[in-house]
Amino acid sequence: MNINGLSFNALPPIDLPFRFFITAPIFIILCAFLILFSGETLWVSRWQPSMLALTHGFTLGFLTMVMMGALLQLLPVIGGVGIARPRLVVSVCHSTLIIGILCLMANFIWPSKLLTISSLIFLVCSIGVYILTFTWVLVKKLSQGDSIIGFRLAMSALFIVLLLGVGLLSQSIGFLSVNSIGKMLTNSHALFGLVGWGSLLIISVSFQVISMFHVAPSFPKLISRYLPSSLFFLLIFSIFQPVFVVPFIILIHGVFALSLLLVISKRKRKIPDSTIRFWQLAALTLIVLNIFYFTPDKFLPSFIRQQKTLLITAVYLYFYLVAVIQGMLLKILPFLSYTHLQQKCLVNFSAMQTIPHMHKFLNKKHGQWLFYLHFMTGIVLFYTLVIPSTYWLLSLLLLIEFSWLLYLMIKVMRLYFLTLTKINLSVNE
Amino acid sequence: MTSIPEFMTTKHRECDELFTEAEAAVAKVDWSLALTKWQSFAVELSKHFSQEEDILFPKFEQATGMTSGPTQVMRMEHQQIRALVQDLDNALAAQNKDEYLGLSETLMVMMQQHNMKEEMMLYPMMEKNVADGEQIIAQFQAS
Repeated sequence: MNINGLSFNALPPIDLPFRFFITAPIFIILCAFLILFSGETLWVSRWQPSMLALTHGFTLGFLTMVMMGALLQLLPVIGGVGIARPRLVVSVCHSTLIIGILCLMANFIWPSKLLTISSLIFLVCSIGVYILTFTWVLVKKLSQGDSIIGFRLAMSALFIVLLLGVGLLSQSIGFLSVNSIGKMLTNSHALFGLVGWGSLLIISVSFQVISMFHVAPSFPKLISRYLPSSLFFLLIFSIFQPVFVVPFIILIHGVFALSLLLVISKRKRKIPDSTIRFWQLAALTLIVLNIFYFTPDKFLPSFIRQQKTLLITAVYLYFYLVAVIQGMLLKILPFLSYTHLQQKCLVNFSAMQTIPHMHKFLNKKHGQWLFYLHFMTGIVLFYTLVIPSTYWLLSLLLLIEFSWLLYLMIKVMRLYFLTLTKINLSVNE
Repeated sequence: MTSIPEFMTTKHRECDELFTEAEAAVAKVDWSLALTKWQSFAVELSKHFSQEEDILFPKFEQATGMTSGPTQVMRMEHQQIRALVQDLDNALAAQNKDEYLGLSETLMVMMQQHNMKEEMMLYPMMEKNVADGEQIIAQFQAS
């Protein structure tokens, strides 16, 4: 019987996205120790070596790690087609990504030619193979237009981030001379990474998953059709005119936040849900960031004014990008587990009774605790940026929050494999 | 005249609405309202499945010759959805709120995925291949 008649069922094996997911919190736990052992000096400026290691631990180790895993599953669900040879691609990308990030973080703290070259080789191999594989699928004609267009733009942004990152690393070991434009390249690298890769992907995914999981109306057509491409074109312009373009990028995020709140408020499923709380937190953060960004400096206290850029970046990263990713994980983990097991029971209907329901995979209360932990950690992060002496508390909270996330992941995966064993046993009976 | 994708998609949305109303009533521990909404949902769902399994799927299979492809997957998923509906019936009868909400989250995810497959692929394929699609829908509307 051909049960793969629908390409929709082209889901890659579940252990492939799980590998990325389970690695992500471990990187933040590593970052928590980095904060603890670096002390107050880490918070002096964004150019501190330990701060650069920390930001890459968060952006590559957590955000990119989860997003790479999530795209593996989202592409077949939203676009109807999966990547070719997923096990080979994931084995290469995941292992080289871990080594590449570790080399890069170590290279920021203990700079050496060997570490720089190693990070270059491993990160180019990992992210490069990933981009190539996904581009091969994304250039084809796929269903569900708006989200897929967003995926294409996010993938293009990731390519630019990689290119700029390679340029900056090559410069540090004298392979390339970009001294005169070094700062501009660094800013573009950060902007394309956070906004182009991180935010664009989140925005595109939101168009699909909010209506799917929460029975909400679609985003206004004007937003879903034009907002991702506008953001991408602004990013391109920002390479040449950053001062002029950045305010528009902030404003566009404000527009997205308002439409997100509107869609969420119109959802039909109104039962308490931590994922919705994470989305609401992210939207409110973007609105507050708009107010903060456009408030003239003379109205801000001097200790805030001095750290304005760092504060905006940290809040954007933690209360928007990381918040949405955590909220999505709360849905994706039980959803994927259930879906994969359910697919296995299509031809073995009686085994279906062995599959636990979604809340048994991930208890709703446990998700709520993650939300509270995330909120507290975010507040302490903000506080530490202004008063660095609280770094130890931030380190402790990060350790608790991401150990909790890791525990939730292990619990879901354990239940998945236990149930799979039961299903396989019932097939063999 | 209404097309197959248009009519069947609207039915999905109507089912979603009744389903979420039942779920919200359970969350508020209003069992009598929950039962009314749940029963309306179950009736609508059963009618929708019958229209697909008894009329639309055979027409599609006849037109394309694909008897073990997408329609077969959809039939198997219907069977799984019916099993979940039965579990929800039991949870509702036992007035077990936590069990109901865990199962309803599961059914919701399963239905949304199932609906996406039908709306994205199967219904457009049916519109293309089933010659008298609009007449069939007119009969559904009249029934």
